[in-house]
Amino acid sequence: MQEVSFFKERVYPILFMVFLTVVFISAISGIYLQTASLVEENETIFLKRAVLFSAGIPVPESNNEINRVYSERVKEYMVNGKPGVFEVNGGESYAFRISGPGLWGEIEALIGFDEDLKTMTGIDFIKQNETPGLGARIEEEWFKAQFRGKTPPFSLVREDEEDIDPDEVNAITGATNTSNYIRDMINRSPGQAAELLEEVR
Amino acid sequence: MARGQAKKVFVGAIGADNPVFAQILGICSTLAVTNNFRNTVVMSLGVLFTTSLSGFTVSLLRKKIPGRVRMMAETLIIASYVIIVDIVLKAYLPDISRQLGPYVGLIITNCIIMGRAEAFALNNPPGISLIDGVASGIGYSYVLLVIAFFRELMGSGTIFGFQVMGDWWTNWAIMVMPPGAFFMLAIFIWVVKGVFLKEKEEAKA
Amino acid sequence: MMDWGMAMAIFFGAIFTNNILLTNYLGMCSFLSVSREIKTSLGLGTAVTFVMAATSLLNYLVYYFILDPLGLTYLRFIVFIIVIAAFVQLVEMIIERVSEPLYAALGIFLPLITVNCAILGVSLFMVIREYTLLSSFFYGLGSGLGWWLAIMAMAGIRQKLAKAKVPRGLEGAGITLIITGMMALAFMGFTGMININ
Repeated sequence: MQEVSFFKERVYPILFMVFLTVVFISAISGIYLQTASLVEENETIFLKRAVLFSAGIPVPESNNEINRVYSERVKEYMVNGKPGVFEVNGGESYAFRISGPGLWGEIEALIGFDEDLKTMTGIDFIKQNETPGLGARIEEEWFKAQFRGKTPPFSLVREDEEDIDPDEVNAITGATNTSNYIRDMINRSPGQAAELLEEVR
Repeated sequence: MARGQAKKVFVGAIGADNPVFAQILGICSTLAVTNNFRNTVVMSLGVLFTTSLSGFTVSLLRKKIPGRVRMMAETLIIASYVIIVDIVLKAYLPDISRQLGPYVGLIITNCIIMGRAEAFALNNPPGISLIDGVASGIGYSYVLLVIAFFRELMGSGTIFGFQVMGDWWTNWAIMVMPPGAFFMLAIFIWVVKGVFLKEKEEAKA
Repeated sequence: MMDWGMAMAIFFGAIFTNNILLTNYLGMCSFLSVSREIKTSLGLGTAVTFVMAATSLLNYLVYYFILDPLGLTYLRFIVFIIVIAAFVQLVEMIIERVSEPLYAALGIFLPLITVNCAILGVSLFMVIREYTLLSSFFYGLGSGLGWWLAIMAMAGIRQKLAKAKVPRGLEGAGITLIITGMMALAFMGFTGMININ
């Protein structure tokens, strides 16, 4: 046949694409909706885990336990529409959502303090876009845990330095910039924490 | 479908026709995650899933896809499977999903998947297209897993997070950074080409 | 809103320290094959820069004005790549009509660009890092220039290399990757030059 029908040439491809698109997007949306609540739960658990960790409370294994401990011990205060101040054990310690610049973007952390807002109970990171394998190592257990019981302001020493003073913390090898940003963010935080607490009281 | 043909396709994709070094396709995105073995495993499974199922799907539809929209249809199919991988990861492996970041989405632009769809799935029945997809996925994966093995071992002293190297080992930080990935891939290609070139020469002799 | 300081920092960062190819591993396929020749590298690099700048802008608008308000952000992979493909197609058609010489120089590269992972990557990163409109545009432009810089440098080096003796197993992809590694190493030296504050 010489002539290819108008239908075949113009209309069919469009119909085909529309049909295909509808089928696939429906499938995707179906899966998305099925898992949406699970994804949201993961987000919430992540935040709760971070709050407990930065407040120096041992983090339980199971999600149920985490929810239980959290609801028993933590009281949330809103800052700019989302939970920004966390009162733990009735004021024994507090965790604050604090942001600062990082190498590739903003870093959002939860910094925990004793009730005097001077001594740190811990730190955890909610959002960071630092270099994988280098700056991103700030999420490693040892790095976060080293701040417990110490009082800012801090200065940095090498990662392998073992004999360090109370006002020194280990940086991350190969991540000098990120380490500096974190140090600055933490050194600024007691002031910010006091302000935030004032705001929500 | 002939068993012989299936076997040929399978072996081909893993060996001499291995997409990554014979054709240097698709290394882009996944090199980024090879500084960690566990993440590479997850990523490889994602690629495997996408390559095999999109090959299968494209092949199923091959007689119905109009020529004009061929690339768009393939892209839609591939992108859809990738989104499914992304959603599943976010729901069931949230920590890993966070670490993989945007690189899961970049599986879509992985040249191998599109390449196999065009070169194979469009012209072959579904059964063997599925096998081709699986084989390409595996061929692609094992290169990355080897690279990841060495990068994590030398860069962090660990495998799967378990400390393997003792105190005597100083981590080669460069292995964790981009240059390390490029060098490792180059060495890998060198070694493999060396093996294959030798085989060819011996076969001729 | 119009934070020029941040946008400029991101711009220079995208070219040097956060180079889409040397730091983020994207755009390798075409990079490895096209960098053989300086002329083609120039053409492809220019095309990539143009498409990256434009699509980062377009995708920003689509994401924040269409997808986000409708709660459809999980479809961004499909939508972004459709925007990119459509844009490239459109540009190709326009160039073909408007300027023969430009089409001859640039037009053939455009289909190659659609599957360039770097273009999609730029859009995805901009969303993850929550850049503003201005920053996103400069991020796209800067990434394109950074990619262009990398491929031009590589083409120049490979031209010189054509006379040198390379071990057989390393010919082609192997030696190119090693050079890429060294370039990545060099570019890492720029880190910290610019502070995003």
